[in-house]
Amino acid sequence: MDDTAVHRAVPRVDTTLVHAHGIAALVTLLVSVTCGIIVAFQLLYPDLGAGAPWLSWGRLRYAHTQGIMLGWLGNAFFAFLYHAVPILSGRPVTSGRLGRWLFAVWNFAVMLPGWVLVLSGVSQPLEWAEFPLVVDAVVVVALAMAAVQFLPAFFARGLEYLYVSSWYIIGGLVFTLLAYPMGNLVPEYVAGASGAAFSGLWIHDAVGLFVTPLALAIIYFVIPAATRRPIYSHFLSMLGFWLLFFLYPLNGTHHYVYSVIPMSAQLAAITASALLGVDVIIVVANLLLSLRGAGFLPRDPGLRFVATGTYFYLVVSIQGSMQAQMAVNQAVHFTDWVVGHSHLAMLGFASFAAAGGLVHAWQRIPWARYNARAINHAYWLLVAGLLLMVVDLTIAGLVQGQLWADGAPWIESVRASRVYWVIRAHGASWLLAGGFISLLVGLTTGPRGGGWQAVEDRIGAAPIEQVAPKLVPVTGGAA
Amino acid sequence: MSAGRAVRKAYLVASVAGVLFFAMSVGLLGIWPRRVIEAQTAAMSPEHPLGLSDSALRGRAIYAREGCAYCHTQQIRYLHPDMARFGAPTLAWETRFDYPHLWGTRRIGPDLSRAAGTRSADWHYAHLFAPRSVVSLSVMPAYPALFDGAADRPRQEARDLLAYLESLGRARELAGPEGEAHAREACNCADDEMRQMAFAGPVNAHPAKARRRGGVPALAPSSDLARGQQLFGDHCASCHGATGAGDGPGASALRPRPANLIEHEYSNRRVAEALWHGVSGTAMPAWRDHPLNDVAALVAGVRALGAVRDEPALPAHLAELGARVYAANCAQCHGAEGDGRGSAADALPMAPTDFRAQRPTLNQSLQVLRNGVDGTPMAPWSGRLGADEMLAVAHYVRGFYDGGAR
Repeated sequence: MDDTAVHRAVPRVDTTLVHAHGIAALVTLLVSVTCGIIVAFQLLYPDLGAGAPWLSWGRLRYAHTQGIMLGWLGNAFFAFLYHAVPILSGRPVTSGRLGRWLFAVWNFAVMLPGWVLVLSGVSQPLEWAEFPLVVDAVVVVALAMAAVQFLPAFFARGLEYLYVSSWYIIGGLVFTLLAYPMGNLVPEYVAGASGAAFSGLWIHDAVGLFVTPLALAIIYFVIPAATRRPIYSHFLSMLGFWLLFFLYPLNGTHHYVYSVIPMSAQLAAITASALLGVDVIIVVANLLLSLRGAGFLPRDPGLRFVATGTYFYLVVSIQGSMQAQMAVNQAVHFTDWVVGHSHLAMLGFASFAAAGGLVHAWQRIPWARYNARAINHAYWLLVAGLLLMVVDLTIAGLVQGQLWADGAPWIESVRASRVYWVIRAHGASWLLAGGFISLLVGLTTGPRGGGWQAVEDRIGAAPIEQVAPKLVPVTGGAA
Repeated sequence: MSAGRAVRKAYLVASVAGVLFFAMSVGLLGIWPRRVIEAQTAAMSPEHPLGLSDSALRGRAIYAREGCAYCHTQQIRYLHPDMARFGAPTLAWETRFDYPHLWGTRRIGPDLSRAAGTRSADWHYAHLFAPRSVVSLSVMPAYPALFDGAADRPRQEARDLLAYLESLGRARELAGPEGEAHAREACNCADDEMRQMAFAGPVNAHPAKARRRGGVPALAPSSDLARGQQLFGDHCASCHGATGAGDGPGASALRPRPANLIEHEYSNRRVAEALWHGVSGTAMPAWRDHPLNDVAALVAGVRALGAVRDEPALPAHLAELGARVYAANCAQCHGAEGDGRGSAADALPMAPTDFRAQRPTLNQSLQVLRNGVDGTPMAPWSGRLGADEMLAVAHYVRGFYDGGAR
């Protein structure tokens, strides 16, 4: 193993923080997934949990969604940022000490107390905002710390040198800082339908301004870095970026179609949802063209996760544009279709991208353990589990919607759901659990430095600046 | 201007525009709707809408804490299937005290916007304590921590939660026809189809809401006993017991106890009424959401449970006595003809038994006379009537039954 090659390839990366956030991501992932699996089984065995309040369905679901969004994706994004920001900007992140504080605050002042509080009954009943306000305050502080940690590096050389991933990172961190307080605070002080309008905005902003930009930053980074070819079109990448930030925030009200929120606001959101599909087609076309030559399922595991996340991104976005339309929405809203959709987004798109970014960064930590077989298993288990779950829940949603529209007794929709819930709990959740455990095994066992060895064996170890010149701006500038 | 500076300027403009777009989204989809909703609320709300009591507010916090909104929405959409099942679509003013809103985005259980007055209190307690004791197919979690060991021993938390459930939709119902008329006028919705829908049907259309009286759709007699028994097992056995003896898992928490279907003979009409309207004042809900042929099959299934026995004949010397005791003590409520329409009947919280449509066994009849029926106005008579008198009147009430002649 040639250490100099690694250090050339990964300039000034604080690998300790990449590793720490990566491990935290995997641990919080397993905790969150455990909560999800328990609630999936509780729909089959409702007395599982024996009436213990902290094991009841509602509280575990609070823990599940917040754990996935903040614990798993948050940590995985931070791990990726510690890897990518120095490469993208050519400068180190602001401070290693700040990094250790951020790590501690995120995991021990946000996740840990957040989970303990919602499980013990201190929470707020707002989707994607379930942690109580006291934890929200810490989240905002931590997001501000993250902005200080990661953003200054980008501005040293000016805007025209920013690669699209850098734009997404800046956009994601800045807009989340704006949207998070709105979504968590406003509905507490604005009543009923008006508060719901703000909640709708936040539900979509959480996905659109936090999760999507950072996931796309990973995808746009990993594809050229792993294929050693520049992306297909920088123009399309920037077009997609700006359209995303213009259109995503305008989607929120599509969660409340046919409600008392003014119809013109609903129609505006529905229109924006359709346009968003156009934007995603632009982004994904650019990504797929950038992948050309790497194969539909690239051999490099990080790249394969990222490519698969791209496919799911296209599917989930087209599905989202479609289900925002009134005719579809009235048939599937409130059903398991939507649960399938959200898992396609958070797991299929965002988690595959995050896992790809994590594996990619892990390969480039010289001392990190790396177990290629386990990672390969993780990939296939996750693909199988996700597809089974999404197809299953989509059909379940159609069945439920049909029974409701037919005026069947309510309980018949519960009875008809059971077979689909059995498939999800007994089929999909074990596959997914196996996949996530394999991912943990893949990144914590095996030989140290095995990741980089695998990259070298496959494609040689030329430093990233030489093989992907358009990923990193040319020093000196074009001006 | 060099290319680099042009790019830099373009990006700066776009960055500012991006932040402005975010601000626009908040303005367009948050602040502006809020103004419209608040104007609507001000115009359409009754002058003094019912707020939440302290108990209901504490209950709301429990509802929020337990994540009830993940499975129960509180938002009836402007869609006919929603309105037919739950009632009038949610108006803005109805949500004016919701900090924060609890609209929800998934319905595993039914919408609860109109929960007030839909179920009885003891049904709710039994359901919260052990959901499957009253709804055998339910997947709802149990909340025994809200109780002191049994469904009929609710702690303060369970009472608060019930107070909250009973507040859902109450403000609109209490506003009454005047409130609806005021809101309709203020909404100025002559041409707006969606707004018109807000006032199209009953405020609470829940198919399980019990009604004191009303017509029953004509049911074709069903010979599908197997279907009836299957439906009974799915929906009725949890309270009435697998054999119909009124001893299902949910029974012990309910006052009055579920009817003992073995110890009665029922006419078709009586069973059909109980299924279609529920039994107002008891935990027995209505089953109007079931297809008519299923209701007919269930009628047949319930009637088949009744044991028709040869009862001992009334001793001859007591024949006169029964009529006299009945006229003196029972007729005010149960009616001179035994049809449950005595002069006091309407003032009672639940309808007195109509003996023409249902005939208790002698044993059942005597037991009720001796012990009364807990949870109903039917008092125990053992202290007031002698053994002969009770035996006589127990026989007498059985004589009204006409087996569904009407």
